[in-house]
Amino acid sequence: MPTAADSVLDLPFDAVPDPEEFLRAAMRWHFSPETGSPFWLERASLLDFDPLTDIRTFADLTRFPNLAGELREVRAEDLVPRGYGDRPDVVGVYESGGTTGAPKRIVLLRDWLDRLLGWSSAQLDAHGVPQGVNWLVVAPTGPHMVGDVIKHQTALRGGLAFTVDLDPRWVKRLISEGKGAEAGAYAEHIVDQVAHVLRTQDVGVLMCTPPVLERLAARDDLAKLIEDKVQAINWVGTQMDPDTRHLYRTEVFPGARLYSGYGSTMILGNASERPGLTDDEPCVYDPWSPYMTFSVVDPETGVPVEYGERGQVVMHHVSKSLLMPNNLERDHATRCRPAPGAAQTGDSVADIAPVREFDNETVIEGVY
Amino acid sequence: MSELIALDALGPKGTYRARNRVTVTDVAGVPAADLGLVPKLFVSRTMAALHRAESLPAAERIAALARAARVFTEEEIGGLSYEDYRRTVARVSGVPISVVREATAAIAEAAEQAGFVVAQPRPAGAVGDWRDPGTRDGSAVWTRRGSVFAVHAAGNHPGPHSLWLEALALGYRVAVRPSRREPFTPHRLITALRSAGFGEDQVVLLPTDHEAADEILRGADLGLVYGGDEVVRKYAGSTVLPQGPGRSKILVTADADWRDHLDTIVDSISHQGGVACINATTVLVDGDPAPLAAAIAERLAALPSLPPEDEKAVLSAQPVEGARAMESFLLAQAKGTVAHLGGEGVVEELPGGGAVLRPAVHQLPKADARQAGIELPFPCVWVGPWSPADGIAPLRESLVLTVLTEDEKLVDALVEEPSISNVYLGDHPTYWIRPGVPHDGYLGEFLMRTKTVIRH
Repeated sequence: MPTAADSVLDLPFDAVPDPEEFLRAAMRWHFSPETGSPFWLERASLLDFDPLTDIRTFADLTRFPNLAGELREVRAEDLVPRGYGDRPDVVGVYESGGTTGAPKRIVLLRDWLDRLLGWSSAQLDAHGVPQGVNWLVVAPTGPHMVGDVIKHQTALRGGLAFTVDLDPRWVKRLISEGKGAEAGAYAEHIVDQVAHVLRTQDVGVLMCTPPVLERLAARDDLAKLIEDKVQAINWVGTQMDPDTRHLYRTEVFPGARLYSGYGSTMILGNASERPGLTDDEPCVYDPWSPYMTFSVVDPETGVPVEYGERGQVVMHHVSKSLLMPNNLERDHATRCRPAPGAAQTGDSVADIAPVREFDNETVIEGVY
Repeated sequence: MSELIALDALGPKGTYRARNRVTVTDVAGVPAADLGLVPKLFVSRTMAALHRAESLPAAERIAALARAARVFTEEEIGGLSYEDYRRTVARVSGVPISVVREATAAIAEAAEQAGFVVAQPRPAGAVGDWRDPGTRDGSAVWTRRGSVFAVHAAGNHPGPHSLWLEALALGYRVAVRPSRREPFTPHRLITALRSAGFGEDQVVLLPTDHEAADEILRGADLGLVYGGDEVVRKYAGSTVLPQGPGRSKILVTADADWRDHLDTIVDSISHQGGVACINATTVLVDGDPAPLAAAIAERLAALPSLPPEDEKAVLSAQPVEGARAMESFLLAQAKGTVAHLGGEGVVEELPGGGAVLRPAVHQLPKADARQAGIELPFPCVWVGPWSPADGIAPLRESLVLTVLTEDEKLVDALVEEPSISNVYLGDHPTYWIRPGVPHDGYLGEFLMRTKTVIRH
């Protein structure tokens, strides 16, 4: 009889566990009274199945209700598995963007962060992003996870992290209130801060969103600084179309590596752009399975769509530090096969977009 | 099926083949072209390139425009002869081929006469160049208000593309965002301009989706957009000149007999398929409007329903779905009026696909009835009563007003009314226009300013 604390939950980042063995060990951990979190132990009795016996495969995770919404209200302490003891090594409490209602909270524990950084650093290496250089991180800090994680990652890879804060909630609020000019002014405020760091410091890697990158590219002086200093650009947050990506690679910043991640607070990390994609291929993201797994489903039926078809993204996070299965994200994506030869559970995804809206071009009145 | 025509952006370093493509279909839904849409980053870089570029000297611009007119009308461009191109425009825009021929010839004429056309708006007190001897004693010089001009083009009719040629003639670098419905005309015109001597960084074609469209205006000093009342409100008084609804009208006062002018009235409604802003939307008559409405209806009822590429076509065509939507809109709006034609519907589907919007004639209960301002892109006219007691209020907000009257005081008031752009007295159709007269004020009034220069 194995104990709830199983070594398969503590593997180094580059050791791939048997997914189903790992999954069963995780269920034992999260649903045993001595190791599980108060959050899950309280809800176990409400489930119409027994996680210890009925969750055998990753497909079974869809039996869980989507409890992500409860992360808006629950006490943060109750999310920490008891198995971490009285003094768990907590890196921070972080919140989701808050695009769809109040923000959702998670707790980031040290052991997960360490392994996440090991894995994501290996992804950066695979994309030719240099080690031992400084990063300029133009990303949400404050309650958001990404800014802090990248600071730790930079330290791990040997460099300083300069940060410019970006408040996504304020931007979304300005846009939803139709204050386009104010949103533009805020973006310029960010660009000005970026400019100061770029002028005065050695910056080897720039992390920012595609809209910020467009504004930087549009300023000749900053484009020149980026061309001269920056060896890699890690873009995150929203998508970049293939034409734009091609322009950056060939005309705007031909000297810089372009790399992207597709992250979510609810999986405590991000999927990583597949290395070696050509300019004509869509940007495919591979999750770090079995800890993060994706499926792409028909939003009406919840049934997975075919490969190559579009649907809504469902994410599962299963690790020692957190169980957050069956979370239906707002994003839509194209369902992709894993990279050839990869031991990956679940789907890869491409062409991420918020629920697609179509232009209605049927204009009735007028001659134009 | 023949291979699709590929229409690509014409950027500052030549043709740019975007991966993001949309299909342009004809009125029957048959694919006609594959149009590449450029991303925002391409737009902002292109606009920056236009700012960095220099313009050709004035005389070379005028000569190149004249050469471009010949290329436009004589050469094969992108695999299409002039006639192939005009046929394609008829098929995708639904504008009858005879109308397309007239409109494209007018574009060529505007290019040929650009030197004359752009000299017309110059104030009498201004010279065209600081080197003019007039500046020795001090003189106004006619100068540009900026360097880069952006156009969000319309696709209803090729005609409006002659307008931005003035900006090019005046030395602006010009970016045109084509309509996704009819990108052929600006593509052909800009290709012709480039082969005639304009640089690739002096005139560009930027097909984009909605998101990148604003970037074209943002990246320009001045802009021109086409649209409805909402567009006019959005851009009024800004660096973007909106071209809004036409709501052109005809007024027949008691001292004139509409029977003497019926040809002109009917023509004003239906010329060019009724798709233009200079087609009459409203006809007001001092007296009973019923006989006039009946006479117009009788004439318009005789127009045949033919596909747009037919030599005898006079009515414009649409995809069926759009035509049906237009029809239900009209039927709902027409409540409270008396239908003389089209009261049961206006859509006639064509055997080869698509539908013609047949004319509609409705009689209004009073001059200022709500419907009088509803302008639709086919021969759709509102005929109403008018009496001198109504004054000029029902005639406001008109791009063109043709007035059949002997009453000079009334004419004074109409010419002085700021919301009426053009006043045609007597038997002139609302669509009358020729190079050198303003369409809605001179574009030059918007593009240029005077500046005093004195020298030794």
